[in-house]
Amino acid sequence: MSDDTQLVSKVLVLDGNESYFDRIKIFCDNNNLVGVRALEANVLAVLKSNVDLGAILLSEDYGGKAHGGVALARQINRARPELPIFLRREQAANLDGLSEKDRKIFCVAYTIDSIADLRKVLDEYIFSLVYPNVMVRGIKEITQSALEGLFKDANIETEAPYIVRDRIIYGEVFSLIPLESNWCRGYMMLQSGGADILRIAQSGTQQAKLTSADFRSINHVLGEATNLIWGAFKNRYFSDDDRSGIFKTQVPIIINHQHRYISFGSENPQLCFKYTLSDKQDSTKNPAIIFQRFVFNLNWSPEDFKEVQASLEELVDSGELELF
Amino acid sequence: MAQILVVDDSSTVRNEVCDFLKKNGLTVIEAVDGKDGLVKLKGDPSVKLVVSDVNMPNMDGLTMVEKIRSELGNSTVNIIMLTTESSPSMKDRGKAAGIKGWIVKPFKGDAVLGSFKKLVGL
Repeated sequence: MSDDTQLVSKVLVLDGNESYFDRIKIFCDNNNLVGVRALEANVLAVLKSNVDLGAILLSEDYGGKAHGGVALARQINRARPELPIFLRREQAANLDGLSEKDRKIFCVAYTIDSIADLRKVLDEYIFSLVYPNVMVRGIKEITQSALEGLFKDANIETEAPYIVRDRIIYGEVFSLIPLESNWCRGYMMLQSGGADILRIAQSGTQQAKLTSADFRSINHVLGEATNLIWGAFKNRYFSDDDRSGIFKTQVPIIINHQHRYISFGSENPQLCFKYTLSDKQDSTKNPAIIFQRFVFNLNWSPEDFKEVQASLEELVDSGELELF
Repeated sequence: MAQILVVDDSSTVRNEVCDFLKKNGLTVIEAVDGKDGLVKLKGDPSVKLVVSDVNMPNMDGLTMVEKIRSELGNSTVNIIMLTTESSPSMKDRGKAAGIKGWIVKPFKGDAVLGSFKKLVGL
């Protein structure tokens, strides 16, 4: 796997013992985790914002109190029940001594000396879906190309793709489009701050330059970006055979506007990409951020994944006319 | 009186394609989906070329093409699909309905302008 497609996941590290941070960092570095920290007073605020978390590493004595971590875990669980919490204890790597109700909040307990054993639960709780490298790399290429085509006067940077479990909606505008084949079924979302996209689209001479500056124009630009990426994804990964005979189950998609939360009825971790669009002409302007998420909640059979070789070989370059 | 009908539900694409064609001296009308495309084509028999998306609400582009040939009885207007799709089965359906060509988005005007001009008789 090349570095640029190595999937990682961010974990929030809430540990009261600073002397353990080096060992926790080594564990994170060795297991494709990116540890982020938050001030104690800001923990719940951080959880309500979009930080794309995969899990939380929490110490039982967090906040300097014997069971301060457990009390905080109850609050975290109320705010973000989708996030797995791994509890670090001083004496034993088990949940003995906690009430039955509190035990349910934690996925697993560990001690600093047994932290390596967390490797097994990472696969269960964070990296439970296998995303083929060639697909991850391809998504990045497809999306970068689509955004470059739409925003010609923007520099576009892509961070390393990562796995998230949170369900928080980023920004003010998002698109949602189904992906349907015999080997996967789910959705792709693009999420962005409306004002940022508007600012980037209004500058320069790019293709997506807006003729009017209202929210409908932003919708159209994000919609066309979604369409270009969706089409390229299908052309590259879904053959005609893959699209036939799809069993059309569906589950409700729940959107909670108050909490900026969207649920696809599945606890599966989501594949996430972050793109940063900045103005080539004026680097002082705030960049626009686009988050792209893949949620294969209805079917995920990566063992059947393949690129469409025939299409690759016969592909006519985009933008060129294939005459019949 | 227009030479080209551009059918796409995305105003971003319609603006881009129409602006390019107008800048290059072609007259253009727009439609927002397949249903609208049928109405616009029926109302302007001078159209020589239809450039249409495939995936659109209300009526998709391939259904519109089939209805142009069957319901409107227009067997002469040239039709090119401009779409993100490139599946062989979709192309076959388009060919069966008599489309002239297929362009995979994004639109690159300079690459197709010569062909468009030929198809409108310039």
